[in-house]
Amino acid sequence: MALINVAAREIHGKIVYYGPGLSGKTTNLQYIHARIPAHSKGELLSIATEAERTLFFDFLPLDVGKVHGFTIRFHLYTVPGQVLYERTRVAVLNGADGVVFVADAKRDRLAENLQSLRELGQNLTAQGKKFLEFPLVLQYNKMDLPDALPTPVLDRYLNPMRVPRFEAIAIQGVGVFETLRAITKLVVNRL
Amino acid sequence: MSERKTERLVISPDAVAQVAACLQRLMADSNASLSMVIDRAGRVIAAESREQRSGLADLGVLIAAAYASLQEIARLLKEESFQTVLHEGLRERIVTETVSTHWLLVVLFDEQVQVGLIRVLVKRTASTLAAILDLQKQRAPRVARPRQKQSRRAAQDTIDLIFGKEPQGPDNHPS
Repeated sequence: MALINVAAREIHGKIVYYGPGLSGKTTNLQYIHARIPAHSKGELLSIATEAERTLFFDFLPLDVGKVHGFTIRFHLYTVPGQVLYERTRVAVLNGADGVVFVADAKRDRLAENLQSLRELGQNLTAQGKKFLEFPLVLQYNKMDLPDALPTPVLDRYLNPMRVPRFEAIAIQGVGVFETLRAITKLVVNRL
Repeated sequence: MSERKTERLVISPDAVAQVAACLQRLMADSNASLSMVIDRAGRVIAAESREQRSGLADLGVLIAAAYASLQEIARLLKEESFQTVLHEGLRERIVTETVSTHWLLVVLFDEQVQVGLIRVLVKRTASTLAAILDLQKQRAPRVARPRQKQSRRAAQDTIDLIFGKEPQGPDNHPS
């Protein structure tokens, strides 16, 4: 739920990067954090395991700037992708205004992508939101790998909703800001 | 996809002032070092501190996350919820109290302040805060949507400006 604090003249939105384990959600946030000017961002908080897998979430606060006297702030979160952490994903997803679904384009990860996307739909529905009307952007990550599925195939399986989708190589930054721009605009458009 | 509007909550300046007054009274009565009201996502609505503090946004997010995690534990234990959460360190203690369905009251205090006293004051304050903040949910938003059409356009232009091309980060600034 977006929060508008009139006294502080701030608008807060929450965007969650969702997707299966190792699909590149944290990499997206790390790249954004490395590239955004210091005055527009806070610290990147990561609650991770010793093996640097996300345990709870990563968190990055972003200031988009002032519009008509209101500062627009986005809180970017990732969820832990591993199947084990389903209830943690529910907790992080709670109150989200928009979701980026980061899919792993590798052929052998298609089943995990589908399962995670299905779970996202179920979790949003359980939180009283309509999946097909919720601000959602897909990112097909790791498109540089030799065993990446072609975009039309990924579209057929993962995007029957026909939401905006972007090809990405997050580790190189390809598609990262395009994805962020799309989801922030979707959220702002619906405030 | 249809153009449905996202759920949103507008907190009026009047409500923020009332919340701040509650926090000031709590600070005066308890000798706590910091008190703040956050939403369940950890966003700070109002904060009162005895000294200048930075990192309140991060503190809010982490406390909200710890609280959310404990509510999942409550669910597993078939407990309705953990209304009050206490963290005790060597110097600092933190009490987090549930306020209605959307908010949390967070109070930081040191070992010189009685935990029992804080608990009583926090419960009382939480009840007052619930009345103030729940009223905000029932009221129609003060910032009318039609007036925001221009703002939305301006916001989209700003987003294009910032994210349209890759921002100049610390690594690619000309030296």
